[in-house]
Amino acid sequence: MNIVVFAKRVAATQEEELRITGDGKAVDLSKIPFKMNDWDNYAVEEAVKIVEAKGGTVTAITIGNQDSDEILRRAIAMGAKDGFLMETVEVSDDPAVRVEAISNLLNKENIPFDAVFTGVQAEDDQFAATGGILAGKLGIPYASMVIGIDAVEEGHFIVRRELEGGLQERIKVKIPCVLSIQSGINEPRYVSIMGIRKASKVERKTFKFNDYRAGQEAMIELVRWSYPEKKGGAKILTGEMDGICRELLGILKEKGVYQ
Amino acid sequence: MSYALIVSEVRRGQFDERNLDSIGFANLAGKAAYLLVPQGDYAIDKGSVDLIIDTGLTESAFLNPLVMVDAITKVIDTAGMPDLIVFTHSSSGVELATYTAGRKALPIITDVSGYDKNEAIFYKSYYSDKVFGQFRKAKEGPVIVTVRSGSFREFVSDRGKAADTKALEGISGSVEGREFIEYVEEAKTGVDITKAEFLLSLGRGIGNKDEIPVYEELAGILKATISGSRPVIDKQWLPKERQVGTSGKTVKPKVYLAMGISGAFQHIAGMKDSDCIIAVNKDPDAPIFQYAHYGIIGDANKVRDKLKDILKG
Repeated sequence: MNIVVFAKRVAATQEEELRITGDGKAVDLSKIPFKMNDWDNYAVEEAVKIVEAKGGTVTAITIGNQDSDEILRRAIAMGAKDGFLMETVEVSDDPAVRVEAISNLLNKENIPFDAVFTGVQAEDDQFAATGGILAGKLGIPYASMVIGIDAVEEGHFIVRRELEGGLQERIKVKIPCVLSIQSGINEPRYVSIMGIRKASKVERKTFKFNDYRAGQEAMIELVRWSYPEKKGGAKILTGEMDGICRELLGILKEKGVYQ
Repeated sequence: MSYALIVSEVRRGQFDERNLDSIGFANLAGKAAYLLVPQGDYAIDKGSVDLIIDTGLTESAFLNPLVMVDAITKVIDTAGMPDLIVFTHSSSGVELATYTAGRKALPIITDVSGYDKNEAIFYKSYYSDKVFGQFRKAKEGPVIVTVRSGSFREFVSDRGKAADTKALEGISGSVEGREFIEYVEEAKTGVDITKAEFLLSLGRGIGNKDEIPVYEELAGILKATISGSRPVIDKQWLPKERQVGTSGKTVKPKVYLAMGISGAFQHIAGMKDSDCIIAVNKDPDAPIFQYAHYGIIGDANKVRDKLKDILKG
């Protein structure tokens, strides 16, 4: 079983303040650390686990500038055999442009695959669209929000999709297919510095993104950025930590949940 | 006539509330609302749309992207190209929408939570609602959107008459590529966080798994029940039954004390109706402060330790 996984380098903004600059034209990410998209980390792990059990190879593909090579090194350290960078200075805001290039790369370079795995979504644009658009474009089956792969059988996967409110559905998906992997499906392995160092000795290939874009223009454009609408918001407790915490306990008493 | 094709979501015999956001969005955009539905005996407010198109498909076939794309193709063949194809921003809604976008080579914008009619601008969340990207179509033609739950239902309006239902004939509900097998319910265990009056809810801001026992100690003193947000469940710091949010439980306790939770909209959807929300987070711009009644800007673990000191002292 050969599995291609897409992984993206994203800004880790969870604990960071984001500033819009240039009159709404950009978001300043210059002081923010980058990492592999969390969902893609689970997708790589799931692909590697399957290949370890069933044989075959995992190929990791990423789109971005040379810095995205760190994503390939990480994927290789986790167990991917090959890492391909689709190099571009500016990544399109339209997922359709990215998918066009990816699908052309798969076809033109004859990259064999039984399945393509993506993370459910990226932490930056939260588009959740790469897997679905790619499957539609290739005309192969698709399942998203995959929270469990119950069986890898001759010609198909049995997977569980996460729905809402704790409900899941079990479905059968014919190979070749595209699966979007949900976070929490597995426990991604720890990657050591030594592992990364070893992975950096494995050759990664670089392809020019624009050579595979096939003239696909963006169908949507991001015209400006804005902050979320303020909804009134919380009464912020201020002062010394001790006073704040006593005030908090007072609120709990007032609400009748703590005596 | 310009219209919006609204792909409804019906799950286990229920017309999902999220569909109201899809209908409201079509109204806000000024398009006639054509509602695409599976067969079944569920309740729909027929006065809220302009046409109902019954595919005759079973619910599970209807939610299969490989089948849905054929149904949409057939609608386009008979009613012409819509200006908008609207899906819910949910597990199945996004799956159907993105696959359709790929097959039909149409533009797509997901998780739309706002729309400016004058400029035809779609607002889309980035970085867990810290900022929004304002999108527009780069060229004329239809666009596919998935709309965020709760964002547009206020724009649903009554037409004063029930919409006609038109049958869409000849769509096969079975495809070779993908088959529904069964629904799987989450295992039921002892804890039911939906019954708790006081939830102490933990997010990734608490740092690591070793902090959990210390929070459990605090919860013990306060007689609170521990719950958590998605990242904490994914990392297996807490069991799945403790998860608050769209993929976990929807809770409405008297007090929801959120520590180290930034407030992705999927989390907010699961706790926003709590009587009193208190949020503790390092980041003053964390979206959760927009929904909380009280906020503390600070490190969750430090606040926890201080609370413990006071309570024990």
